[in-house]
Amino acid sequence: MEHARHVFRAALVVLVLLAGVGITRGFLVPPTYGLHGPYRWANVAEQMSARTPAHRGPAACGTCHEDELRRRAAGAHRAVSCEICHGPLLAHVAADGRVTAPQVDRSPALCARCHRKVLGRPAAFPQVVLEEHVDGPLDAGACLACHDPHAPTP
Amino acid sequence: MDDRTPCPAPTGGPSTPRVLGRRAFLEDVLLLSGGAVVFLAGATAAAPAAAAEGAASAPPAAEGYQPWEHRWAYLVDPERCIGCGSCVRACSAENHVPDGFFRTWVERYVTGMDGTSVDSPNGGKDGFPALQVAFVATKSFFVPKMCNHCRETPCIQVCPVGASYRTPDGVVLVDGERCIGCAYCVQACPFGSRFLSPETHTAEKCTWCYHRITRGLRPACVEVCPTGARAFGDLRREGDPVRHAIEHDRVAVLQPHLRTEPQCFYLHLDGEVR
Repeated sequence: MEHARHVFRAALVVLVLLAGVGITRGFLVPPTYGLHGPYRWANVAEQMSARTPAHRGPAACGTCHEDELRRRAAGAHRAVSCEICHGPLLAHVAADGRVTAPQVDRSPALCARCHRKVLGRPAAFPQVVLEEHVDGPLDAGACLACHDPHAPTP
Repeated sequence: MDDRTPCPAPTGGPSTPRVLGRRAFLEDVLLLSGGAVVFLAGATAAAPAAAAEGAASAPPAAEGYQPWEHRWAYLVDPERCIGCGSCVRACSAENHVPDGFFRTWVERYVTGMDGTSVDSPNGGKDGFPALQVAFVATKSFFVPKMCNHCRETPCIQVCPVGASYRTPDGVVLVDGERCIGCAYCVQACPFGSRFLSPETHTAEKCTWCYHRITRGLRPACVEVCPTGARAFGDLRREGDPVRHAIEHDRVAVLQPHLRTEPQCFYLHLDGEVR
């Protein structure tokens, strides 16, 4: 029996160590880790609700701005989302319903981003050399004097 | 335990530190831990309420979303891209991408017999300026780029803490709570699509707008693209246009020799693009 006591002691130490490892691991490893692979499964749901979608598409804008939506649908900018020029809907109508003025950029720089002639654009895409196209100063509203941005005609 | 020496009364002077008896210490510990428990309980109880408030006008949350029913894929048509940078701005607004970093960006390739020039000023966020090249340019085009959400990912393989992973619907994500910011994945990605956020100090990248696609919306970059150069689809859905294009059209992926099996496909990709 004398020798058995030593064995029990050693076994007890091992058991205590194992219990310590188990308890520590329980604290360190997240509960959903490893459910579907070596990652924290709970994070998938977290990523789904990480933030409120900011861009909602033209149809959402149309709930208040029917006229502009209808004009746009008939013109050359029918595929151009409202949010390209006016910023994301969430910046205009906040999640709690508060409305702030949206972006309205009247500068030719906004139009130039798509329509200025630069290397790289497909040849069939409508482009202008601003300096040759506009006779006069290129200040705010220079393009809008002739073109309606919601339904532009060449 | 009654034979303890009484504590000297605190004199209140700033130079003499307050001596703490065992009983007082234990009381303090109890109070503090109790306070912490109450505080934490309050914080956890308040969190869902705050989350629910923000979702007031949001589209239906991803309650019924089943990741196993989808297999997302992305299709880029460089021939349609006009380099306006709307996608880069939309991504930045949608995902609060720190300035100077990009989850998606646009590159301009200008090639001729005697050379190739690649530029991407500010990721293409402000559009592209006119360009002068020192050779005779014979063709030029824009190439939108982002995380390729590979099937055989180098980035997930090197993550030492299991923070990078691939969801059952084929999206590669980063668990910001687990990430230790070691940047192994940033170096491992052959497409340069990851960066360490200067705000959170964790790895960030394109998520294909996981918070949008699980609600039935398209990624922000696809939503705003004026020419249809970017498309997003579900390979598990019959009649999906992106699936049809990948099945029947000429598509390529970036750096196919690395065998990472990107799920971001490019129509009629020029061999010049890396």
